Amino acid sequence: MTAANPAAPLQRNGVVIDDTFAEAFPMKATRIVITAHNLTWARHAANSATGFATSVIACGCEAGIERELGPDETPDGRPGLSVLIFSMSGKELAKQLERRVGQCVLTCPTTAVFAGIAEGEAIALGKNLRFFGDGWQMSKLIDGVRYWRVPVMDGEFVAQETTAVTKAVGGGNLLMLATDTESALAAAEAAVRAMQRLPNVVMPFPGGVVRSGSKVGSKYPALMASTNDAFCPGLYGLAAKSEITPDVHCVLEIVIDGLTEADVAAAMRVGMQACIAIGAAGGLRRISAGNYGGKLGPYLFHLHQLLGAPEAAA
Amino acid sequence: MNGVHLRLKQAPALRVDLRGVTPASLAGLSAAQIERLAVTHGMQTLALAELFAVSCDGAAAAGDTLMFEGDLSRFDRIGWQLAGGQIVVDGPAGDYVGACMSGGEIVVRGHAGLLAACEMAGGTLTIAGDVGDHAASGLPGSMDGMRGGTLVVHGRAGERFADRMRRGTALVFGDVGDFLASRLVAGTVAIGGRAGAHIGYGMRRGSVVFAGAVPSVAPTFVPALAEAAVAWQLLARAIARHGGPFAGLPARRIGRHLGDLSADGKGELIVAA
Repeated sequence: MTAANPAAPLQRNGVVIDDTFAEAFPMKATRIVITAHNLTWARHAANSATGFATSVIACGCEAGIERELGPDETPDGRPGLSVLIFSMSGKELAKQLERRVGQCVLTCPTTAVFAGIAEGEAIALGKNLRFFGDGWQMSKLIDGVRYWRVPVMDGEFVAQETTAVTKAVGGGNLLMLATDTESALAAAEAAVRAMQRLPNVVMPFPGGVVRSGSKVGSKYPALMASTNDAFCPGLYGLAAKSEITPDVHCVLEIVIDGLTEADVAAAMRVGMQACIAIGAAGGLRRISAGNYGGKLGPYLFHLHQLLGAPEAAA
Repeated sequence: MNGVHLRLKQAPALRVDLRGVTPASLAGLSAAQIERLAVTHGMQTLALAELFAVSCDGAAAAGDTLMFEGDLSRFDRIGWQLAGGQIVVDGPAGDYVGACMSGGEIVVRGHAGLLAACEMAGGTLTIAGDVGDHAASGLPGSMDGMRGGTLVVHGRAGERFADRMRRGTALVFGDVGDFLASRLVAGTVAIGGRAGAHIGYGMRRGSVVFAGAVPSVAPTFVPALAEAAVAWQLLARAIARHGGPFAGLPARRIGRHLGDLSADGKGELIVAA
């Protein structure tokens, strides 16, 4: 991780915005729409399908619930949820999608699943899950879209045959450096709430927040990532290189995956604005971001530029 | 309206085969060239000008509308193998209208004869009046009926409607004759009126929706106990766009019968309450 530049302090409401940037990577993504008899059961399925999907490091994908959908927004007129799933390749995305829909949506009472993106390379949604029907499954082609109807014990599971894969951006992030745990949580929660109001993004970690920010590599060769010691308050004065100042006792991170660079930028912007609204009075001292020196990811989100700071524009 | 206008001079003595007279085949031709096109009249061939008054603005284009005006009930194979463009028949049409079409649109503002939309694979065929027997079915001797596209009949349909149909959507606003959807392989059929005897005789898969009178169901069908609310909403919303007796379908409750057990047994008769 690169160091924030303390020589260029930009302050908003007493919060220092580090002159640094978040570095993000290209990913592949899809959106699916899960509907059910009521929102409760749609949420059960969506929570299950997006569980253990915090990081591609070990989960295979990153996923989250994008938003609730009213009956007038879903193909079958029932309440539902849109879910975004991101992975590093289309092949891995297809694998994760099939496993998660097969184990978490097909199994959940009353659910149905539909594609949430129309344009892009098609990957299987219900195409292979239909074989669970053991020959009793039925296909229905409606307005050029094929659906599979699989008999199950509560009636039938309906799944659109395919969904589409689109290019996406993963790894946008914000670091909130605060005086204490309570303040850091309050800032992170406010930022996540603001980001959740935007379309096309998910924050895949628990509650949208991660406390175990990582750096690339480790002293142990077998590990590809390890703790971000530069931002660990507990290592202040111990680690050779630290981003912590003495007034910072807790740091939390929000990771953002979005369908486009603009979506990630918008989420980071509203997240920072929510944090700034809490301000130094709320215990928030700094906002920073994680990057790899700009050498790895093609998408760089400069915090000052996102806030439209005059010096950034210059 | 841009396009080629063919106004019937007088009814022919024998049946006329209009295969090959499509927007694509007329593209680039002047009115004089179109007038010289040969069509079959009984055992003879006639120039189109002997049957129709031809008018068009300059050379015709493939995307233009081909308009027939007059009583074309003795003109068969209108829109045969149509792949694109639009044909409008301002009056009745003969047999095989829209047969084997794979794209484009045909509108008939009157009745149509036998075998309308038979082996249709794509596009849209709308008939304002009635159709004869074997609409949306197969050509005589063929194993497959309609296999794609949309057929909308605003009037009534004859016997064997959608016989051997395997894909696509076929709607009849009015009544249909006997053997509706017989040997249906797949696809969607919806009826707004009454249906004759032997509904779904030998049907293997597919959906037949009854928005009008409750049909008489053969004993080779079994009542479905499970709900199919999701599939019904997807299907009903698509059909409801055609209006008429289908307009309120998504809000109606349904009963289903599965069969025909004498065949594959995976078809469904959906009766809207």
